[in-house]
Amino acid sequence: MERCNFHLERGYIEGAGPRPGRAEALLLSLSDMAGAPVYLGAGWAGFDSTVESISKLPKDLFAEVCQQIMLHLQCKSPGVNTFELAERLQTAGVELDLEATKELVHVISLFFRSAAQSNMSAEEFVVKLADSSSKWSKHALQVIRHVWTEQGKLIVTPGDAKHMLTVGQLVDLQWKLGMAVSSDSCRSLNHPYVTMMLKVADPTGEIISRSFEMTIPQFQNFLKQFREVATVLEMV
Amino acid sequence: MAEQCSKSLSGLLGGLAQLIYYHSPGITEQMLKDQLYPDLSQQDFKVLLEKMAGILRSITSADMDFNQLEAFLTAQTKKQKGITLEQAAVLTKFWKIHKVKIRESLINQSKWENCLRNLSWRVDLKSQSRHLDQINTPVAIVEFELGKNDQESEFLCLELDETKVNQLLKKLTEIEESIGTLSYTN
Repeated sequence: MERCNFHLERGYIEGAGPRPGRAEALLLSLSDMAGAPVYLGAGWAGFDSTVESISKLPKDLFAEVCQQIMLHLQCKSPGVNTFELAERLQTAGVELDLEATKELVHVISLFFRSAAQSNMSAEEFVVKLADSSSKWSKHALQVIRHVWTEQGKLIVTPGDAKHMLTVGQLVDLQWKLGMAVSSDSCRSLNHPYVTMMLKVADPTGEIISRSFEMTIPQFQNFLKQFREVATVLEMV
Repeated sequence: MAEQCSKSLSGLLGGLAQLIYYHSPGITEQMLKDQLYPDLSQQDFKVLLEKMAGILRSITSADMDFNQLEAFLTAQTKKQKGITLEQAAVLTKFWKIHKVKIRESLINQSKWENCLRNLSWRVDLKSQSRHLDQINTPVAIVEFELGKNDQESEFLCLELDETKVNQLLKKLTEIEESIGTLSYTN
């Protein structure tokens, strides 16, 4: 059974999708939506068949899927529960296994994200989609036009989402206490400072390092804040 | 007359500080001349400016305390083409006002790494999925805002449970102890 971790208050953008390589190929095709002829790398056959799957979904079910994806992209929900979705689709008689469902959700999310980044109107969006594959059904495009008109503007694009980096786990902290003795503009600097190096793992497992410097007063404030955090954690 | 000279010199030193250390926009040497020494010839002004800038550089570079300053300025008054006693007094007053601020700006000028612009945090209750027992574990979400120079900030968001926070605190306490062993004159 799938485990879901829900964080209260703020929403978090999910990390990389299930198959990054394929997603990149699709995104390449989408970013060309702005004008140039579409180049589709590996995954072309897969793309058409995914569109076919989308078009086979009953209209109201597809509308619901789009709605769930929109909520996620607007950071109002932590993600689409693809397991539950696959179950529902199968109950409704749609022949899509979990993998195919995930792919479907992923592709639709990419479309929406890309359209949001290019600031497309519903009309533009639908035209580009229709151009990208002959497998789109009229119903599917209608649903997308409707959903986009109503809620397209509310999507949080990466530009807005600078504050909403995926939450990482602290893997390691290293520190150094240094003394700046001299510089070209001041021979007698005598300035102590603390440098910290954080190693952070994001949900995909990738580890990034960041270092930063603090003056002694800044460090003392830093320490004070973490003591407060510890106190609150104990009390809760 | 002497008072006017002192006022002008005080203004000049303030202007030089803006120009050299605080990097205030809009201040130029010509502006200083026009406002403070309109009657002085271009050449004479240049000589005065260079002399004062040179003295300032010596003082700031050594981050002189007031004993060192007195000795230094006294030596300057005894030099040929040195400074007058009134000028020495103005310089002393200037250093009293600007010493700390100039030092801070010099420290910042040689800071090229990321610095911590802001730290914010909150504590969440994390619940596990419906298929396991509902265990409410408190977890801290901490956001580090990092940036250097004029660059845009980068945000690093971390999730820390109680154990991690305590491990972190242990390291921070080590740093605190290390700082305690430092002895430096400021």
